[in-house]
Amino acid sequence: MRRTTSHFLWLIAPAALMVGIFFLYPLCFSLYSAVTLDSGELTLAHLNKAFELYSKDIIFTILIVLICVAILAVLSITIAGIITLSPFRTLSKTLGFLYRLPLFIPFIVTAQMMRTFLAKNGLMNNTFIASGLLTPMETVSFLGWSGIIITFVWKQLAFSTLLIAGAMAALDDSQIRAARNLGASRWRILLQIILPQIAPTIGVAMVLSTVTIMSVLSVPLMIGTGTPTMMTADMAFRINSYGDYHVANALGLVSYSICAVLAWFYLRQNLKEKGAQS
Amino acid sequence: MAHLHIENLQVGYGNKLILKNINLAVEQGEMIALLGPSGCGKTTLLNALCGFIPVSQGDIFVANRAISKRPAEKRNITMVFQSYALWPHMTVAQNIGYGLKVQKMKHADITTRVTELLKIVKLEGLENDRVTALSGGQRQRVALARALAIRPDVLVLDEPLSNLDAKVRLSVRHEIKALQKQLGFTSLIVTHDQEEALVMADRIAVLNHGTIEQIGTPEDIYHRPKTPFVADFMGADNHLTWPIQNAAITLNINPTITQAEIYFRSENALVSTRPPATNVDVNPSNMGLLIEGPVEQSVFFGNNYQISVRCGTHTIQANHDQHLPEHTPVLLRVPTDALHIFATEAGNSAPQHSLSPLSNQ
Repeated sequence: MRRTTSHFLWLIAPAALMVGIFFLYPLCFSLYSAVTLDSGELTLAHLNKAFELYSKDIIFTILIVLICVAILAVLSITIAGIITLSPFRTLSKTLGFLYRLPLFIPFIVTAQMMRTFLAKNGLMNNTFIASGLLTPMETVSFLGWSGIIITFVWKQLAFSTLLIAGAMAALDDSQIRAARNLGASRWRILLQIILPQIAPTIGVAMVLSTVTIMSVLSVPLMIGTGTPTMMTADMAFRINSYGDYHVANALGLVSYSICAVLAWFYLRQNLKEKGAQS
Repeated sequence: MAHLHIENLQVGYGNKLILKNINLAVEQGEMIALLGPSGCGKTTLLNALCGFIPVSQGDIFVANRAISKRPAEKRNITMVFQSYALWPHMTVAQNIGYGLKVQKMKHADITTRVTELLKIVKLEGLENDRVTALSGGQRQRVALARALAIRPDVLVLDEPLSNLDAKVRLSVRHEIKALQKQLGFTSLIVTHDQEEALVMADRIAVLNHGTIEQIGTPEDIYHRPKTPFVADFMGADNHLTWPIQNAAITLNINPTITQAEIYFRSENALVSTRPPATNVDVNPSNMGLLIEGPVEQSVFFGNNYQISVRCGTHTIQANHDQHLPEHTPVLLRVPTDALHIFATEAGNSAPQHSLSPLSNQ
């Protein structure tokens, strides 16, 4: 028995070590640094400073995340719904292929791509001008908050659609057929039969997308216009310009807290549903 | 025209034709069983009927209206699925009343209809239960009530009993049949279980390789199969290819038949251990087949023993009330009316049957 236990310990040791070194230690260090002075005394000064200087950016970040998640939910449910319910198989197959593409493109490449696409003299506006839809004077730059949202949605759409379309495909097809021959339209089937059953997966997709969006630095740096900007850009600025790890970590703490609130909501909802089923 | 009329129906997936030239007429209030082995196209026929898969050729009429171009939601044909296909996030009442909600019926009327259906399927008091808390038999009753709630023109049942255990299956089978008689709905039931088809259906259509081999009453299909496949599928477990070399066998049939496929059920082969010479009551008008041979195996089957008898290159199965040791010489007698004979000479493929009654059964 003792021997089996030691075998198990050896089995999980490499993974545990990786989690400890690369996740738990930096996390604890970051939390510690956010609430202590260099001398080691506890303080709220860094947090106060972070709120004082960057409260606008915190709100901006939360708004960007909320708007992105809302658009992501609508778009990924729509695409997954079309893939699952559309009678046009070619359309479903094409969409099924296209939506996956952004999965394989890194954020920094996406950001650079969007920069050249969304700028005032970027590919999008040039195309409009060339096709006669706009004159050069009428073009607008999308670099800024709208560009950040477009980039995040474009990149994360693949991931959230993958999860949601997978959950829809896992539903027994006869459940959809049963609703159809009782007279339900596809729209009604999506809303009343499919969505209530895959709500937990939508929750997972949105929570994971939020965490990803909150952690990306390249997009606000390359697409944003300076102020207000997202918290990751502020953290980078505190470190690069002032070597101020304390305030950067305080901003990190705020970021963790936002994600923790979401995780708490999600877990609570999940447990409730599991409790109701058992 | 019949209530449900299927005319020259062809259905395929890509280049592969699954159903070929299906013609079927179902009268109002009739229950037809589609019987056949796995992969014969019976579920495809139901799916085409419901509008879940497109029809490549032919037409479907319900109450004189062509429906094959209509989408599934506009056909008013409901299906009871093998997997029940209940929605787990809804209660029993919500599942049953869903079709009525889609039809925008008033809430009070939905409640009345759901209560009425719960009474019909004997699930009173369970309306607020989650369907996940129900047993298999109860779930299938909810699925039946849900399909009947909107008063469909045709109800189709896709192997509705195959997920239930043997005991529950018998009771649900009886209940579906009783309901069908009571409410008079027109229905098609898919099954691969011949007993289920015989018990439940008014008529049976036997499918094989995407075509209907025979359609008729259960008695017709059972006693007068028109093709070797139907005979075999309906339980004629003995098959001989006539003539048989090196076997002690006598066949009293139309002498013009020189080559034939012969089918009969093991329960129709009467076993006697007395020597053939003293084997009395051989009525020439009724004894179609006489086989002499040694017992190869005797297996206990509950209410009798199944005896395997060697006959040339064939092994014949017969039932007997006693165990017989190996190598016991026996005489098997099969009445003419229990034989299904299919002549195989060119130009003569019609089944040959004796017209005399089954006197030995």
